[in-house]
Amino acid sequence: MPTALPTMRRNWLVTLRAYPWTYFIGTVATGVLTVGLAYLAFHAIGGGQVSAGFLADGGTGDYLGYVTVGAAALMFATRMVLWVAKAQITEQREGTLESQLLAPARRLPYLVGVGLQAFTTTVAEVAVMLAFAIAIGVRLPAPDPLALLCAIAAVGVAVFGLSVPLSAIMITVGEAHITQNTLFVGMALLCGFTFPPAMLPDPLRWLGEALPLTSGLRALRDAALHHAPVGAVLPDLLICAGLGAVYLAAGLRLLGPAERIAVQRGGAA
Amino acid sequence: MSAGIVTHGLTKVFPPPSRLFRKRPPAPAPAVDGLSLAIPPGAVTGLLGLNGAGKTTTIKMLATLLRPTTGTATVDGLDVVRDAREVRRRINLIAGGERMVYARMTGRENLWYFGQLYDVPRAVLKRRIDELLDLVGLREAAGTLVERYSRGMRQRLSIARGLINAPAYLLLDEPTLGLDAPIARDLRGVVADLAESGVGVLLTSHYLAEVEQLCRHVHVIDRGSLVAAGSPAQLTAGTRLPYSVELTLTAPAPDATKAVEELAARAGAEVRHDTDPEGRPRVTLRHPDDLAGELTTTVVRAGGAIARVEVAPPTLEDAILAMAAR
Repeated sequence: MPTALPTMRRNWLVTLRAYPWTYFIGTVATGVLTVGLAYLAFHAIGGGQVSAGFLADGGTGDYLGYVTVGAAALMFATRMVLWVAKAQITEQREGTLESQLLAPARRLPYLVGVGLQAFTTTVAEVAVMLAFAIAIGVRLPAPDPLALLCAIAAVGVAVFGLSVPLSAIMITVGEAHITQNTLFVGMALLCGFTFPPAMLPDPLRWLGEALPLTSGLRALRDAALHHAPVGAVLPDLLICAGLGAVYLAAGLRLLGPAERIAVQRGGAA
Repeated sequence: MSAGIVTHGLTKVFPPPSRLFRKRPPAPAPAVDGLSLAIPPGAVTGLLGLNGAGKTTTIKMLATLLRPTTGTATVDGLDVVRDAREVRRRINLIAGGERMVYARMTGRENLWYFGQLYDVPRAVLKRRIDELLDLVGLREAAGTLVERYSRGMRQRLSIARGLINAPAYLLLDEPTLGLDAPIARDLRGVVADLAESGVGVLLTSHYLAEVEQLCRHVHVIDRGSLVAAGSPAQLTAGTRLPYSVELTLTAPAPDATKAVEELAARAGAEVRHDTDPEGRPRVTLRHPDDLAGELTTTVVRAGGAIARVEVAPPTLEDAILAMAAR
């Protein structure tokens, strides 16, 4: 890992010196608000009961556990995407993209380095949100830690895979906000973070299945809430990691041309 | 395997920007058009042209950052497209301005990180970082965050970054832009030493005196095409620009003045008479040949007493401006 570890160290140095506290507060606040509102709605409106429809489509009556896992996963996914997908456009904005591209280091280990640092930071942020959820009484039994760890790893691969083509799009069009928020809206709507995807119309449900987070979330919930062993979540894990690998491969193919477009747009004389 | 950087018919056409719901504009003129160059190891080669001539595009293609539309470029026989990764190990690029380094890292951390990207062995890297920090005069500021550096300090760090992989070929795109005069002079010394040690250097600069001082060979491009090549002296001589010989007399000497007029008419030189700030008569001859010897002989034979003679040969800058005006 001649490039990944130095890149992870570089990002740690920079993050410790200029930690984006506003991002952190904003992200944790969103997660806390999601769980808090779900708590209020569940008790004040639902009277502590879920509908038969939710029970059938979501496969659980533990609405708060369902929402907490979804909110944690959404927080994890958005933060990871923000770190990894925006790595290169940030280099471009800071004027260091060309010095990166001049070096013989490959893109994948560079992005893995960014991803490793992002993973550790994001896990800490998600932990703060989960601590709040547990404090208000949400139960996350996770009886098989191995299944849960495998699910987290698969979701990590999936989010990393999704971030790479997004990075290529960002440096191609020279824009990050519209690109990232389009993905975030799509993920939030289609992947089942706060409600079961089965409640969506069929075309949207199929579209959601094309995003690896949908199967990753199923595996996460099964492992965290439903006492599922590794064997039971394995099909979803494979779909999640496999789709993530497909997005990753596509992204790596796109990155080279995208980088040249970015350099070209950077100026020629 | 041919040594050096060699290009054959190198051409780059940038596609016009696409606009939604608008007709695509016609294809623009090439930024670089059929350029054939040779940059040997162990020498500084200049690449000159006016703004928009295609210098930076050429350098970015040689640095593997852009792909040629047609034509080839090789570095020690390695193709810049097909063997891009291997080419990157042998080259580096230093561009003017203070970017290309990380603002929230120290100077030493920046060099350490870029050394890792070039896979420089750990023991070598530590020694090289110290040497480079000394070379660019940043040893004392090595532990300071780059965001606290002055513009000149950032540019010096960028120069150290460009040398971190001990490149066999160095592409310098306006490297002294924004540098203080003493630092720019030191950098010129470094570039000359690098070339002496075998590094092939390609230099673009708006400071033509810098090019004249450093370059053994210069390529002049205009609108992406090669318009002239040769040593600075050859380029200057080729344009037949005038030498300017300025002779100051100690006192008015009508016979000498008349003899100078005759010399100017005979040689077809442009002549101008005036006085210097101390009120002494002064004559200036402008001619493609250096007429200093003939002028002084003529004045002395006509009984004139010479206070001062100054010869100003045409410079590379004069030659480039003359080529641009054609």
